[in-house]
Amino acid sequence: MESRILRPTLALYTVLFLLFLYGPMIVLTILSFQSADGGPQFPIREWSVYWYEHLLGFAETSRVSQLPVGDSLLRSIVLAFMTTVVSTVLGVMSAEAFRTRFKGSGPAFYLIILGMMVPGVLVGLGMALLSNTLGIARAWWGTSFVLHVVYTYPFAFLVMLAIFNRFDRTVEEASLSLGVSPAQTFRRVTFPIIFPGVLSAMLFSFTLSYDEFARTLFTAGRELTLPLAIYGTFSVEIYPNIFAFGVLTTLFSFTLLVIYGLLMKRFTSKASRYSGQEDA
Amino acid sequence: MTALTTDTPSTTPHSPAELREKKDRRRAIALLSPGLLWMTLFMVLPMAMVIYVSFWTQTTFSVNSTLTTASWERFLSSATYLGAIWTTLRIWLIVLIATIVVGYPVALFIGLFVRNKTLQTALLVACVIPFWTSFLIRVIAWRPMLGTEGAINMILMKLGIISEPLTFLLFSEFSVLVGMTQIYCVFMVGPITFMLGRIDISVIEAARDLGASFGTIFRRIILPLSLPGVMVGSIFVSVMVLGEFATAASLSGRKTNLLGNIIVSQVGSLKWAFAAVAGVVLTIIITAVIALALRLVDLRKEM
Repeated sequence: MESRILRPTLALYTVLFLLFLYGPMIVLTILSFQSADGGPQFPIREWSVYWYEHLLGFAETSRVSQLPVGDSLLRSIVLAFMTTVVSTVLGVMSAEAFRTRFKGSGPAFYLIILGMMVPGVLVGLGMALLSNTLGIARAWWGTSFVLHVVYTYPFAFLVMLAIFNRFDRTVEEASLSLGVSPAQTFRRVTFPIIFPGVLSAMLFSFTLSYDEFARTLFTAGRELTLPLAIYGTFSVEIYPNIFAFGVLTTLFSFTLLVIYGLLMKRFTSKASRYSGQEDA
Repeated sequence: MTALTTDTPSTTPHSPAELREKKDRRRAIALLSPGLLWMTLFMVLPMAMVIYVSFWTQTTFSVNSTLTTASWERFLSSATYLGAIWTTLRIWLIVLIATIVVGYPVALFIGLFVRNKTLQTALLVACVIPFWTSFLIRVIAWRPMLGTEGAINMILMKLGIISEPLTFLLFSEFSVLVGMTQIYCVFMVGPITFMLGRIDISVIEAARDLGASFGTIFRRIILPLSLPGVMVGSIFVSVMVLGEFATAASLSGRKTNLLGNIIVSQVGSLKWAFAAVAGVVLTIIITAVIALALRLVDLRKEM
C-alpha cells in the first residue's frame, strides 16, 4: 500500500472525525460552567458551578425553573432495570432455542430482529392507539415497558446468539455423559461460558432503555421518564442547566460502564485462574 | 437434553434421529414462544392497529371506528404532507451518503491500517463512547456549537474568515443534516470496520507483490469485501433516520418536517387517524428500504 501518503492522511482524517464526534460534547461541557447570568452560549462570563447547583436544587430560586429530574430519574432507572431483566431472560431463552436447527427458524429470527428495526414513533403510536381502544391506561411501567422490551430484547438475543455460536456444545454433553447433573452442568459449565454475554446483554438493554425516548413519548401517560423530561425543555428556551445535566448523566453512564468493566475483568481473571488449576 | 436420550430403542416406528429432531423442535418452540408471543402482542398487534386506525373516521377531538378513506384522501391531496414524504426521503438519502462518505475512511484506517490490536480497540471504543451520553443531549449539544453566538461562528470570526456570524448553521436543514450525520455515523463505521478487519492481509500483500497499485487493490479487493459492512451499516442508519423526529424538532426550528414530526404533531392535536396514515406511509417507505437492502445482503449470515 502507498502508505507513506495514505496512512498519515487517514490518521489525520480519523483525528478530525473524532473531533467532529466529540466537539459538541466538549463545547457543552465548557458551557455548563457558565455563570448564573450567562446564557447557553459563548462567551463564558465567569466560571462557576451555579448551573450544577441549580440542577440539584441548591441554588436560590431564579428566573429559570428547575429541571424535573428527581422523580423522572428514579422512574427511568426502575424502567431500565425491569427491561434489562425481562429482555435478558427472553434473549437467553431464544438464543438457546436457535442452537438447534428447526423449521421456521428464519421467520422467527426476523420477527425478533424486527423489534430493533421498527421506528419507536411507529410502535409508540400503535401502542397508544391499542391502549386507547382497549381502555388500558398508559403508564411508563406498563405500555412503555413492553415497548422497551420489544426494542432491547433483539439486542440481547443477538449478543447471546453470538456467544452460543462460539460455544462448543460437546463440552456440555461431555459433562452430562460423565454423570454430572444438568443443574450442576449449567452452573459449572454452561453459565461460566455464557456469563460475559449475559453481562453484555444486560448492559445493552439497560443503556438502551434508560435513554429510550421515541417509544416512551406516546405511551408513558402522565408520569414522565427522564428523556421525556428533557424533551419537554426543548420547546422552550434552553439554559445551561441542561448542559450541566448532560455532563452529569454522561458521568453516570460512565460509572455503569466502569462497573461493567470491573465485573467483566474480575470474572475473566477468575476463569483464567480456574483453568490454571486444571493444568496443574 | 438429559443423559437418557439414547437409552432404550423405543417401540415407536420412528428412528432415534427422528425422535431427537422432534424433541429438539419441541424444546426450541417452548424456549422461543415467550419471546415470539411478546413480539406479536406488543409489536405486530400495535402495527396492525396503526393500519386499521388509518381507515377510521376522524372527528374534531376523537376517532371512531367507522371505516373511511377520508384521512388517506386528505393526506394524499395535501401539499404539506406530500412535502413531508419528500423531505423525509431527501434527508434520509443525504444522511445515508454522508455517513458512508464520512465513515468509510475512518473504518479503512481502523480496520486495515492499524495493525496494533490494542490501538484498534481503543479507536473503536473512542467512537462508541459518545453513545453513553443521552441521545437528546447529543442533539441539543449542536445548538451552542452552531448557533449565531456558537462555537463555530466564534472561531471563524476570531480567525477573521468571516465578519458576520453565519446564520444558516442553526435552525435550518443544514443543522439537521450535520446533527444526524454525527449521531448515526458510528453505525456505519462499526460494521465496515468489522468487515475490513476480516480481510486476510496476505491477500493484499500478494496483490501488491504482483504489482497492483493501491487503487487497484482498493477497487478489486477491499471495496468488494467491505460492501456487506456498508450494507449492514446502511440498514442501521436508514431505519434510524427514517423514523427520526427529535433531531429535526430541536435543530431545524420547525422548518424541517419529517414524517415522524407529522406523527408527533398530529398525536399532539389528537388527530389519531391522521397520525396513523402518516405512520402507514412511513412503514411502507421503511419496508421498501429494508426489503431492498435485504435483497443485497443476507443479514443473518453477516452477524
